Amino acid sequence: MRRPLMMGAVLLLATACGEDTPGAPAAPPRAGGATTIDDRTSLAFAQPAPNLSLEAQERHRVGDAAFAAVFVPAPAPVNPGLGPVYNNTSCNGCHLRNGRGMPVMGSGPQRTQLLVRVSMTGGSPEHPNGAVPVPGFGLQVQDQANYGVKPEAAVALEWVETQGQYADGSPYSLRSPRVRITPKDGSVPPAGMLTSLRLPPPVFGLGLLEAVELSTLQALADPDDRDGDGVSGRLNEVWDVAARALAPGRFGWKANSPHLAQQSAEAYVNDMGVTNPLFPEVDGTHELSRDTLEAAVFYAQSLGVPARTALDGAEVRRGEGLFRARGCEHCHREVLETGPYPVAELAHQRIHPYTDLLLHDLGPGLADGRPDGAATGAEWRTPALWGLGLTQTVLPYAAYLHDGRARTLEEAILWHGGEAEAAKEGFRQSSTEDRAALVAFLRSL
Amino acid sequence: MARFSLSVRLALAPVLVSGALLVGGCSNEDCCDMPEVTLKQDLVTNFADRVVVPTYRDLAHELTALDTAVLLLRTEPTAARLTAAREAWFAARVPWEQSEGFLFGPVDSFGYDPALDSWPVNRTDLDAVLSSSDPLTAEYVRNLQETQKGFHTVEYLLFGEGGTKKVEDFTPRQFEYLTAITTELQTVGNALLAAWTETTDGRPPYRDTLATAGQSGNTAYPSVQAAAQEMVGGIINILDEVANGKIADPYDAKDPDLVESQFAYNSLSDFTNNIRSVENVYLGRATDMTAQGQTLRDVVGVNTDLDARIRGEISQAITALGNIPEPFRDAIRDPASKDEIEAAQEAIRKLQDTFEKNVLPFVTQ
Repeated sequence: MRRPLMMGAVLLLATACGEDTPGAPAAPPRAGGATTIDDRTSLAFAQPAPNLSLEAQERHRVGDAAFAAVFVPAPAPVNPGLGPVYNNTSCNGCHLRNGRGMPVMGSGPQRTQLLVRVSMTGGSPEHPNGAVPVPGFGLQVQDQANYGVKPEAAVALEWVETQGQYADGSPYSLRSPRVRITPKDGSVPPAGMLTSLRLPPPVFGLGLLEAVELSTLQALADPDDRDGDGVSGRLNEVWDVAARALAPGRFGWKANSPHLAQQSAEAYVNDMGVTNPLFPEVDGTHELSRDTLEAAVFYAQSLGVPARTALDGAEVRRGEGLFRARGCEHCHREVLETGPYPVAELAHQRIHPYTDLLLHDLGPGLADGRPDGAATGAEWRTPALWGLGLTQTVLPYAAYLHDGRARTLEEAILWHGGEAEAAKEGFRQSSTEDRAALVAFLRSL
Repeated sequence: MARFSLSVRLALAPVLVSGALLVGGCSNEDCCDMPEVTLKQDLVTNFADRVVVPTYRDLAHELTALDTAVLLLRTEPTAARLTAAREAWFAARVPWEQSEGFLFGPVDSFGYDPALDSWPVNRTDLDAVLSSSDPLTAEYVRNLQETQKGFHTVEYLLFGEGGTKKVEDFTPRQFEYLTAITTELQTVGNALLAAWTETTDGRPPYRDTLATAGQSGNTAYPSVQAAAQEMVGGIINILDEVANGKIADPYDAKDPDLVESQFAYNSLSDFTNNIRSVENVYLGRATDMTAQGQTLRDVVGVNTDLDARIRGEISQAITALGNIPEPFRDAIRDPASKDEIEAAQEAIRKLQDTFEKNVLPFVTQ
């Protein structure tokens, strides 16, 4: 009874204060279209889209519970199916408050949020464009295990600092990770094993990104840089498990998952060891019901997107101009339109995600050297920047980039290379004031 | 208890959103007939220093006392010492539940909430470890899953199913396990306090993150309003959780397995302390503390109609919870308790509604 009333209030206000009010000042861009929420607290990534129907609100709530469920080993009356090996025990365990993770490894209260993907340089993949599994590990190192089972390996993480300076002489320090994997069975990791650290990305707004039509992305792609702007961009091509065919990749740091259903199912089976309809046991049975999987997927689809803030600030406006002038928006596309979509609330929205969902070569500094689908070891999918300024509000000490190497937004920018080299260099050479303005703009997202 | 708190915490949703939109979507002049209030820096410093830190200090103290009591029980297993250990568990629940009105910052980001309060208890692995002769070293315990070592595992071991466990039912291995995990809880309690009060791993005390809200370089809270919104959001969150999660989930499903603190029959005390947590944040002081500087009550206006209404509704919610018969795990299935349970939910929702509609606008940017 409570929620419908509140939803009514939201809709009324949206009408009263929205973009269509005659005579009103120009309305600010709404980051997630009608799914935008006005909240700048640590719960900002955990709100459902305000335009959900009553039925969708209920589905969202069920999905919320699924996303929060802590798994335990079977048999158990509540949430059985954990393991035998895993990285974490719930979706929320890595995606704390749905935001970027902290770059920590290990056990105890600060349980692993980073995970390590692995593959071999040579050998036969299980399907076209697939990575080649590593004996004993598969494609991901599970560093936790149920009682009586050995984790696959212990993973140690060290950071190596390198010094640099801005053109104005101000120094900075960048860090990059070194990972040491020690198999628990006493063996040595095979020579030629490729590793790539992955930090949990934010999970809100994903339904909107899924609702962007493929033709839109294809139109943005410029794999051979025919327009000569130094920026290419292409779609990944990855294995669609349900369709048993190659499909464009869209989700994950390397766009190695074609849709949210597969992305979520992969997380259940790889991160928590919970078999599910897309990744069942050998005999076809599975621990997670189809309903629960679908609920978790719907949760990610139907989260709201935080509105921008400080739009009136002169520094923010100047930073926005610099963002465009430096060419950042070539990859971090401000505006996309969504098309038809099964979740009606997300269809046909004008959104401001700051991504093109395409792969770009970011240069040797960021390269993990591990191909994924059609992505090379130097290519990464442009991450969405919406909500960026809330990263450390949602999770203090959260970090940026695929492995969490960047402690600040400045460091994240300074790591850009390859197709983004010119944009990065422009930042490095700019004045203290201009750098601050650009970061102020990013914080307004 | 993480399963409830997370799910409901994250589900609070349209409500908080609508409150925020009320002001975020349009200007104050359009929306709200409210007095102009200046939020002061000491609103958040008082909250940190007089509410949050004292509560966590109390929690760390009580978890140490729990560890001591369990160690004494192990040394000399008597009925009196079992009672004392149980009392220590009850006592430690008080500051923990009174901290749930501000479940943000290190308690979440460093995993202390699941480390303290995970649910369900992982009985499979717990039984396996109890049956084994594995040495329960600090490192071994650190590697156990949270569902094998939090408040509720201690509760299960101390009270047993239905609270019927007797001191002679304990095995030496259970005592060994209990002391190992209460020592771990003590460590977590100290770490949580330290995360707020000391520089840890090069990070400033989280107290400073709140206290410097709005100051240059603060990447978490760009304004005092943002930090104040976090305070009110925490209040709304726990009220939603108690009414619509902690009570509603087991009551609607008529499933005692979903009841918080079900082995110790401590559910209603837990819920009541959650409301006390709201009261503490509103009044700007934890038990035995006095407020210093601006409080949320000052923001609302001391002795205004709204202030009287908020204090009245807090009191009514606590009274309504007190009218539900313990054990709550039985009450949810007893038709005779229906009115009391639903009245408590209504009282808490009313208070939640007041914070959403009438308090949140004061602190929203």
